[in-house]
Formats: sequence, C-alpha cells, structure tokens
Amino acid sequence: MATTSAPRPAEQFQFTGTGSEYFGIWIVNGFLTIITLGIYSAWAKVRRLQYFYRHAEVAGSSFDFHGSPKSIFIGRVLALILLIAYNYAVRVRSFATVVILVVIVVVMPWLLRNSFRFRLYNTSWRGTRFHFRGGVAQAYRVFLLNGFLTVVTAYLMAPFMHQRLKAYQHDNSWFGRTQCSFHARVGQFFKVYLVLLAPLAAFGAIVAISGVIGDFRAITQAQQHHGHVNPHLAFKAIFIIYGAMVFLLVVAGPIFHALITNLIWNNTRIGEHRIECNMSALRLLWIGISNLVMVLLTLGLFMPWATVRLARFQLECMRLLPAGDLQEFAAADPEAIGAFGEETATAFDFDISL
Amino acid sequence: MLQADYFDGRSTRVRVVRLSVDGKDLVIVGDDLDLRIHFADVSVDERLGRAPRRLRFKDGSFCEVRDLNGLDELLSSIGHVDGKVDRMQRQLHIVLLSCLACLVIALVSYEWVLPWAAARGARQLPPAVGKTLTEQALNLLDGKILLPSKLSDKRREELLATYHALRLPEGGSSASDLLFRSSPQLGANAFTLPDGTIVVLDDLVTLIGDDKRILAVLAHELGHAHGRHGLQQLLQSSAVAAFISLYVGDISQLVAAAPAAILQAKYSKDLERQADDYGAALLLHNGMSPLLLADALRDLAKSRPGSRGGGYLASHPSTDERIRHLHILAAQGAT
Repeated sequence: MATTSAPRPAEQFQFTGTGSEYFGIWIVNGFLTIITLGIYSAWAKVRRLQYFYRHAEVAGSSFDFHGSPKSIFIGRVLALILLIAYNYAVRVRSFATVVILVVIVVVMPWLLRNSFRFRLYNTSWRGTRFHFRGGVAQAYRVFLLNGFLTVVTAYLMAPFMHQRLKAYQHDNSWFGRTQCSFHARVGQFFKVYLVLLAPLAAFGAIVAISGVIGDFRAITQAQQHHGHVNPHLAFKAIFIIYGAMVFLLVVAGPIFHALITNLIWNNTRIGEHRIECNMSALRLLWIGISNLVMVLLTLGLFMPWATVRLARFQLECMRLLPAGDLQEFAAADPEAIGAFGEETATAFDFDISL
Repeated sequence: MLQADYFDGRSTRVRVVRLSVDGKDLVIVGDDLDLRIHFADVSVDERLGRAPRRLRFKDGSFCEVRDLNGLDELLSSIGHVDGKVDRMQRQLHIVLLSCLACLVIALVSYEWVLPWAAARGARQLPPAVGKTLTEQALNLLDGKILLPSKLSDKRREELLATYHALRLPEGGSSASDLLFRSSPQLGANAFTLPDGTIVVLDDLVTLIGDDKRILAVLAHELGHAHGRHGLQQLLQSSAVAAFISLYVGDISQLVAAAPAAILQAKYSKDLERQADDYGAALLLHNGMSPLLLADALRDLAKSRPGSRGGGYLASHPSTDERIRHLHILAAQGAT
C-alpha cells in the first residue's frame, strides 16, 4: 500500500433521498403500523433507518443498516415497559416508587451500552461493519458516577459529563479493525456551554426591562388584599415569560446543537482519517422553524419532507478528510466479533431508542 | 450487462463488475472476478427510493447496483418478484389510499374513539384517584386563587338546603359536596373537581341572585360530576398531549403545546354540552324549566361584556348557542 504524503481530496458526505420518495415509504408503513396496533412499527423503523442509511454516501459508497425488526421490536417493548413503570413510579408515590426507580437506574447504563453496540454493529459502509466495544463497568462509571456528579453540582459539571460520554462512545467505536478516537477536551465543552449563558443573560435582561417582576408583585399584592387583578397585567406577564422561554428553546437550542456537533465531529478520527463538520447554527435554526411551520400547516403531512431536509442538512455539513487509501479498511476478525458477542442477536441486544 | 460495485465483505475495496443472467445463475465478471452464483442463494434488498440496491450473497459479499431500472429488468428476467410492502410503497394509488386511510383513522379516533375510551376509563378508575386529584387541586388553589367565601352563614345554608333538596334521576338527593369560595381572578364562576365536588364562587351567587337560577347552574355542574368529566378530560388531554409531543416533539416540545390546546378545546366544549343536557334533564325531573339555566347564562354573560365564548380555543360553546339549545330542550320537556 502506498502511503503518499500528497494531500488527498476531502470527501463530502451526501444525502441523495428526497421527501416525495420517502413520503410513500412513510405513509404506507405508518398505515400498516396503525392497523396492526403498533406492532408493525418495528418493521417500519428498520425501513426508515435503511432509507436514511442507504441514501447517505461518502466517497461514492452508501451506508447500510442491518438490524432485524425482531430486535427493534423487543427493544420497543422494553422501552415501553420502562416508560410506564417510570411514569407510574413518579405519579403514584409508594414503596414501589423507590424500588422501580432503583431498578431503572441500575439497568439503564447496561441497556444504553447494549443499545450503542446494536446500533454500530448494524451499521456498515462498503460492507464493513462498525463496532462498539465499550465495557459495562465503564458504562456505569460514565452514566451513574458522572450523572450523580452532574446532579449534585447543580449541572455545573454537565459539560464534563457530556465530554466523558462522547469519549466513551467514540473512543470505543471501531470501523472494522480501525479504532476511532475522540480528542475534544473538557475545556472545549465548557466553552460551548458558556454560549448558553448568553441567551440566559438576555432572558434575565428581558425580564428586568419589561418589569415583569413588578407585574408579578402587583398581582400577588392584589391577591393578598383580596383586590382585583388587572387581567391585562397578568396576560402581559405570562406572555413575556412564555415568549422568552420559547425564544430560549427555539433560538438557543439550535445554536448550542450546532456548536457542540461541530466540536464533537471535528475532534473525532477514524484511525488517522479526520472528519470535518461545519454546521451553521443559523441554517439549522431556519430549517427547524420552517419545518415546524410547514408540519403544522399541513396537519403533519409535511413530516417526511421535514425529516429528509434535516437529514440532508446535517449530513452535508460533514466531510471526511482521508489520511490514506479508503480501500484499505479491513473488516474485524470473525473471532473478535464472537468474543464481544456482537453477532448473536440475544434477547439483550436491541435498540432501546424509540 | 449491468454495472455494479462488488464488495467482498472483508475489506472496503471497491471492484467494478458487470452482472448478467445465465439460466438460473447470476454471473459476475470484472476486476479479477469471475463468479457464477445460483440465484436461489442471492437475497435482494428492497428498492428504497433511489438508494443503491444490494444483491447479497451467502459469504457476506454483495453487489451494489445504482442503475435501478436496469436491475429491475435483470431481476424480472430471472423471475424475482419484489416483496408485497416493497411494491406497495412505490404504487401511487396505494400511497394515496394509505394517506386517506390514515387521515380518516386519525379523525375517527379524535372524534369518537378517544372520547369513548376516556369516558369508559374515567368510570373504571377507582374513586381514590378522583379524591387524591381533588385534594391536590384544592391544596394548590386554596389561599392563592381560591379564598374563603365571604357569604353569610345564613345565605350559604339556604343554598345548601335548596341544593340538597334537588332530587337526582336515580332517586335520593345530590351526592356531590358543595364548597363555597371567593376568587377575584375567576370572578363569577362555578366548577367541578375530579371527584365531583362542586365549588361555587361568591361572585356567581351575588351576580345571579335568584336561587332557582343558581340551582340551574349547580344542575349543570352535577352533569360534570355525574359524567366524571374531570377525569375524562384528564385522560383525553394526556392522550392528545402524548401523541402530539411524540409526533412533533422532535422539533420543539414547547411549540407542540399550541396544537394540543386547539385539539383539547373541542373536547371541553363537548363536555359542556353534555353537562347542559344533564342539567336540563335534572331541572325537568325536579319540576323546573331548563330555561332557568339559560337565564343564569344570560346573567353571567352580561357581567362579562365582550366575551361571548365560542371560537376554536374557547373551553365553552358560545353563550348564544347554549341558550338556543336549552330553549330546544325546554320545548321538548314541555311536550
């Protein structure tokens, strides 16, 4: 193999699907899901993932998804059981609440780790599969210990937790025999999280300038003295608070998402090959808002176009910067796959995400 | 001859090959390859959009074909038939029919199935649920939005006596508790809590004045209590909110609240109409006219100029509509 130092051209990721093609798949599978009372949704999900993976290309070849509907179905049933148990535990306080919550906390890291493994093992490019080889003990450290740290420090440690999670995922990912690596540092995560502080400050400023606090004081005083509350005042106060919250989520959300996505992918390598991600927060914001408006105006029928549009945008922000020949990746040894129990679709290998 | 990319499944090496059919065999030639595979051993992926389609072989190798129409020709020449759902996804009339069916199912579920299921569910729930919810609601509201009643004890006793004298259709006197409160925010109003407890606000009593008309309002509220509307509303709104947030939740949880509110407003209006019907029947049963409720509604409307109700987001039907309906019920009851 020739490892020349000549710069290789960057390979742009591409998405070749269209909304109108996807519409047919989406609606037919949706209909089958409804008339089978949701059971067909596992098959529908496999098709959806296959549609998106197979239309995602880099260096002239597309990805593929190999997961079986049966595993997806088991995962969905389990996720549903956990969801119902959680809701029951939170709403009806009893001794069972503690037991259910403890069980959920204890099994969750293990389930998430199996879920990562399932997703990667069933993803391939040019016939070579990805693998996830993160250990169970590490999963508990990442999710439980760091999660605990995040909560007791009132989310001040959230960037730390986020970095550890991504490092766990990406450092343990393999493409065939080639290991991936993650290079973003905790400090860089903290910087991106600082960006969230700006809109929070803006929110504070809006509240201060608009005098909402004064309005609320007036309202509570009126209540205490059994007086009459000016409905306009109450309406204004609610409108400003609600508006500011929507603004925070709709505007700050995409900005944060774009920055963190760029940070994560720009610092991920597959062997020596690098990835470049250049997501524009403004365009993400525009796509999110226009998609939402169109979905609402069409009573939901625009959904396939919205999904395709977002997928195309997200994928086309990325480029692969090859450090060598892309023909030279080798698939993992069958023995190594066996050692990690990856090829056996046991009862515990499934995708827990809905 | 059809061009394809061949992958051995062990490396990412791309080999450009040509595919052809010979009898029941698939022939793969090119780039150092010369393979002949019995077609029974080939598994063919679905044709999804314009994605390259794969022919998979037993040893993990496969061919990726981009010329989808060319591949269709090759496959039909060898007698392969695509799966049923695979074909359905590409047939325009099936797609349009599915679309229509989904819309009809959504509409029917919203209009009939969910209200029916929620009403049944509300009747099945143990009484303790309604009790707990009522306690929680009162704890939340008392002292903040709801203040102690300033009506005289005598006035309250009078109202309680007339209320308890009301005979329910099943016999006996009214089962729901009646509470008195005042509220500057809610003004002239009465409402029913999840366990059927009715709360009457001072402003309503002073505004309407006439005991029979106040009783008519209580009859309407007993309709809510009888139908367990509080619990039904809770179940319906949970289902609608869960569906909407699953459907558009990816985009924004907060904005999803708007369509949910519009969808729930209709349910609320339906329950008001049911409570009016029950109230009217109850009044007739006690030898009174349903028009008393119409009069009470008129009194309340006068106190809130500009807010006649109705509209998509309103929780109640318009006062005019309700009064018209009560006149019809009164006429029916008289005959």
